[in-house]
Formats: sequence, C-alpha cells, structure tokens
Amino acid sequence: MTLINRLIDWIDVRIGIREITRKELTGYLLPRNINSWYSLGSVLLVIFAIQVVSGILLLIYYVPDSGKAFKSVTDIMNVVPFGWLIRLCHAVGSNMMVLALLLHMLSVLFMGSYKSPRELNWMTGFILFVMVLGISLTGYLLPWSQLSFWATTVATNSANAIPVIGPSLVEFLRGGTLVGPPTLGRFFALHVGVIPAGIVILIAAHLFLLKRTGISTPPFGLNEANKPWQGESYRYEDHPGGIPFIPDYALEDLRSIFIYLACFLAVVFFDPSLFFPKEAFIPANAFITPAHIKPEWYFLANYQTLKIFPNEFIGLTVQGVAMTLLAVLPFIDRGRERHPLKRPLFMACSIGGILLWIGLTVWGHYS
Amino acid sequence: MEASRRTFLGTCLVAMAAVISAASAYPIWRYLAPRKINPADVKVGIPVKEVLEGEAKFFDYAGSPAVIVHKRGGGLEVFSAVCTHLGCIIQWEKEKQDFLCPCHGGRFSADGTVTGGPPPKPLNKLPFTVADGTITIG
Repeated sequence: MTLINRLIDWIDVRIGIREITRKELTGYLLPRNINSWYSLGSVLLVIFAIQVVSGILLLIYYVPDSGKAFKSVTDIMNVVPFGWLIRLCHAVGSNMMVLALLLHMLSVLFMGSYKSPRELNWMTGFILFVMVLGISLTGYLLPWSQLSFWATTVATNSANAIPVIGPSLVEFLRGGTLVGPPTLGRFFALHVGVIPAGIVILIAAHLFLLKRTGISTPPFGLNEANKPWQGESYRYEDHPGGIPFIPDYALEDLRSIFIYLACFLAVVFFDPSLFFPKEAFIPANAFITPAHIKPEWYFLANYQTLKIFPNEFIGLTVQGVAMTLLAVLPFIDRGRERHPLKRPLFMACSIGGILLWIGLTVWGHYS
Repeated sequence: MEASRRTFLGTCLVAMAAVISAASAYPIWRYLAPRKINPADVKVGIPVKEVLEGEAKFFDYAGSPAVIVHKRGGGLEVFSAVCTHLGCIIQWEKEKQDFLCPCHGGRFSADGTVTGGPPPKPLNKLPFTVADGTITIG
C-alpha cells in the first residue's frame, strides 16, 4: 500500500491528481433523488466499449472480400478458439445497444431531461442514436450471408422512393446498381472507420455537454431548490448536499452494468440464435432471393410503414417527419413542467407513439 | 470494526474484479494465440518425379517452409528450409549443390551440414518415406 501511495503522491505533486479526483469524482455531487434510469448512459458506454473490443478482435480473422467474407465468419464461429463467443458478443451486443439506447431515450423523454437548457444534449444523443442504427445496418452486410445480402438490398432500395435523386442515391450507397462486392467495401469502411469515429466524437460532445450543464434533477420526490434557468446567462446546475458520484452513484452504475451483463450473457449463452434466422447461415447468392426477408427488429416498424402506404414516398416522408419531430422535440415542447403525470398531452403522444411503434414492429414481424 | 468491514468489502471487490478479468482475458488470449500445428499430424505427399536429380523442391510443411533435395548420384534428403542462424529461408544453389542463406552467407551441404558462415548447427532433418513413387514427409 505504501508503494501505491508513494506512486500516487509522485503523480499528484506533478499533475494534481487528488484535486481532479475531488472535483470530478468524490466531490461531483448528484441530485439526492437520482434514480437507476440515470445509469443507462454508463451502461451504454460499457456496451460501446465491448463492441469496440469485440469488433477489433473480429477484424483479425474477418476478410472483407465478397468471395471470402462468409467463410471467414464461418471459420470465426467454428474453427477459431472462442471465435463464436467474440462474434456472438458483437452481434448480440449490437442489438442490446439499440435496446439500451431506446430505454435511455425513453427515460430522458419521460423525465423531461431533454428540456431547456439541455437541447444540445438531446440533439447529440439523437444523432448518436441515428449513428448506432447506421453502424448496425452497415455491420449487418459484413457476414455476406443471404440474410445480410437481401436485408441490405431491401434497406438500400427504400431510398429509391426519394424523388429525383433517389435512384442515384441508391446507386451511390451500393457502389453499383445492385448490392455486390463494391457495397461490401463501402459498408466495411463505414462500419469500422467512419461511423465509429463519428460515434466517439459525439460521445465526447455528449459528455462534455453533460458536464457543462450539470445533471438534471429527476422530477420525482424532491422539490427543486434552484430557481429554473431563465436563459439569461450560462449556469451550471449544481446539487449542493447531493450524493457523490464516487462511491455512491458509481455503485449504482455498477449494479446496472451487471444487470445488463447478466441479460446480455444470458442471450449469448442460452439463446445464441435469437438474432440469427436460418438465412444467416447460407452464403449470399445474388441469383436467389429468399422468401420473406426481414430487416432487424429495430427496423421492422420502418419496414412495415413503407408497406402500408400505397406510395413508398409517402411512407418515407412520414418516417422523415416523425424522426425530425423527435430530433427537434426540445424546441417544440418548451413547457417547464417535467413531471410526466403533469404533462397529459406529452404522455398521450408518447405512449401513443410507443404503442404505434410496437404495433408496427409486431405487424412487420408477422406480415 | 468499520475498517475491517471496509477492508473485507474492498477485498471482495478486488477478488471479483480479478475473477471477471481472468474470465474475460482467457477467451481473448485463446482467440489471439496462434493455432498450434502438431507436425506429427501433418503428412505431405510429393511425387518422386517432381524432384529431378541435382535439384531441390521447396514446399510448406506444418506452416513452415521445407525442402526436398535429390542429390547428384542419387539419394533424397528432406530439411526444414529455415536457417539455424537467425531464421531466414535458405536457397538451393544447383551449380554448387549446396544451400546458401542469403541473410548472412551461411552455407549448408546437400546433407544439411554447415560448410561455412555463422549457422551454429545443421539444418533440421524431417522424417520421410518413399513408396509407390511418392515421397511422404511426416
């Protein structure tokens, strides 16, 4: 212990590490009524870290060549020691990341944490959500299975409905008129380079904004002592008398992380094929389209929306409007009230929206 | 009492972290570790007619370069083509009927013995049999 203390002393006199610890960790106070939903951000950071590590490990054996990709993934699953574990962690983790992100967004929505002055936090989070959907979509093609090939064909084809530029956009996305080897190269570059870099930058921006505005107080059980922010000048929302991040809330974070890991590993070990329909085990064949090819569960509502409208353009426009409304929600919902039960219009719209999304997803699954 | 409780919980936390780290590190270590090939499990067959008298044929044996030499006047030898000095791959010099390691000028006879340069020991011989016009190495 003495050696560790001496090492810490050595670093402390040079860069003031104890001061940073006091300010940012043990002295970083959070609202006394903070709840477990606030730990979803930490859970998401852990998920992202697992995705990065498992993704780098997969890169060692994966070959981004249309002639070799499927075999390389099959070898990872069947030949490389523990390759199945790394690949399943990555594939299951991507689904779990979308699920955790949706829960994080719902908690922010219901607790009104997106409201002024946290518009930028919400918008960076929303862009992160879109990027996670993008990284999931691009990663879906990489195993070069029948499922990857045809799900990507269907997904990229929907952009055809955009007037004037649609067909050119689809061709640009695919690197050709149809999904083929050039698409794999593009999606691989996006999946392992462009989008992860974008996600890292946005996570940094999201955390920076969180640090600058301060953690929002949950709208339950504690009367806000602070006067509401009026927009006159910058103000950090501090929480005097609150609970310290370390050790108190870090343990809460840790508990949520372990609950997540338990659910995640339960799928990996006990239902590994949950996200793999049989087409995922057949190599891509550009001449044989399997029947009833479906996208991943989180795109099923979009898929079904495109199907129920007589015109694809209308379906795409409806989705575009819904996403835009969600992105700019803090600028539409400007009321100061944050308690969900005291916002009946918001509750009706959001619960209606969630039920609609679930309904479309189930319909898309069974259609 | 408080201090011992804290010490106990701290020790449990460290032990738990150690177990989780080990459980995560082991699959990653196995995943990254080079796959071992047992030379005893590998057999390579090469037709005798492919190795003309006075010439050598290089091939892959258990993930490493190897060479068969058909000596002038008859007789076959099979070696690992890895130089015993610093691991470069030897070359067959047909005119001199010996092996040269281009890295540091090591020389080996067609029997694999060191005839010049820095190599400390002869080339590693590989077991082989000849039957039905095929040389089977391993």
